[in-house]
Amino acid sequence: MAVMMLRSDEDLVQAFQAGDTTAFDALVNRWDRKIQGVVFRVVGADEDARDVCQEVFLKAYRGLPSFKKEARFSSWLYQIALNACRDRLRRRRGRHHMSLEDLEETADGPLGAKGPTALERVAAREVRERVAAAMATLPEEQREVIVLKEYEGLTFPEIAEALTVPVSTVKTRLYRGLVQLRQRLEEEDVRRSEPVPLRPLT
Amino acid sequence: MTCEAFRDDLLDVLYGEAAPEASRRFADHQEGCQACRQELRDLGALRGELRTWRLPAPQPRRITGGMPSRPSWLLVAATVLLSVGASTVFSRARLERQDGRTAVRFDAGEQRLALQLAAQEARHRQEMALLKASLAPQGGRVDDESVLRKVQELLRESESRQGIVLEARLSDLATRSEAQRRYDLAQMSAGLNYLDGKTGLQAARTTELVGHILQASQKR
Repeated sequence: MAVMMLRSDEDLVQAFQAGDTTAFDALVNRWDRKIQGVVFRVVGADEDARDVCQEVFLKAYRGLPSFKKEARFSSWLYQIALNACRDRLRRRRGRHHMSLEDLEETADGPLGAKGPTALERVAAREVRERVAAAMATLPEEQREVIVLKEYEGLTFPEIAEALTVPVSTVKTRLYRGLVQLRQRLEEEDVRRSEPVPLRPLT
Repeated sequence: MTCEAFRDDLLDVLYGEAAPEASRRFADHQEGCQACRQELRDLGALRGELRTWRLPAPQPRRITGGMPSRPSWLLVAATVLLSVGASTVFSRARLERQDGRTAVRFDAGEQRLALQLAAQEARHRQEMALLKASLAPQGGRVDDESVLRKVQELLRESESRQGIVLEARLSDLATRSEAQRRYDLAQMSAGLNYLDGKTGLQAARTTELVGHILQASQKR
């Protein structure tokens, strides 16, 4: 497996297409965490998102035999992931709106790690909640671009390839998304700083 | 030129993707533009905040939670798949994957089935008529044994067709199961690697702690 991990995505895809099915394991190992990152941040960190991750790799497994070398594997996989996210969000819209709990992470750092104090952890959690809540209010297309740029570190041309839109569209969506996020976070700050009104005693 | 015209350059600079020319262009602009300098600073601070949103730590997990252990699950799955496949073929039902779930849909009652049945019946009647016509010259009446042979032949053909359909469906299901198995294995492998790392870290800390205690007791 260690040797597999040294090979490029394209080599692994070629090996898989030539019949070496273990190459797919290496691709899953390499991309699972990244795909989880995208799905969790776009759909929310819940069971739904786990289903979507599974769907992404099942689709990839079935689609790989006909994958064309001209495309970049990473862009192709992100494309599958984003399409799966959109499908899930479309279906979910009929059921309920995305809540903060859907997007908010649930686990802290590794067990026993030298970590921050309880007070610092509470403060950090508060900051994360703000970001998750603000992201949840963005239109899907802006959220997707921000996730790919900020958390996946893709370049503008890579995002354009994954979304099959021009680079200028990517930049427009990103800028509008960032401006909206900033506005939401500022509103949230104002809301939090307002004193809680006292309820009259009954 | 308005600040709007420099928006793409600003993003390139913000994310460190600016070509030298764009970088210089934006630097020249922001030198005389307080608003763009502020925007760049604000967006940089916003990016800092965004980075605080981290993902949950990876956890080894089964992607289809709540299932029994693999051997019994595989046995049950194989049995179910075989029976679903067989009954699908014989009942003219179809397997559909929708909303991430596989469902068996029966066409009974649907207009399409009625049309198919009517067409099949018409075809059979026609075949029977042709058969009778081909047998008629031999003594002027239909030979029961030849009809039976012909019917048996038709049945064999039909069974062979159904066999091919069943094989194709089972092959598709096998592909899906294989993908699921590979994904499971990759997940387990990632989970075990994670646990290995964590256990190693814990052991190192314990050793360090014991060392400190020993040192402290020796000093005392």
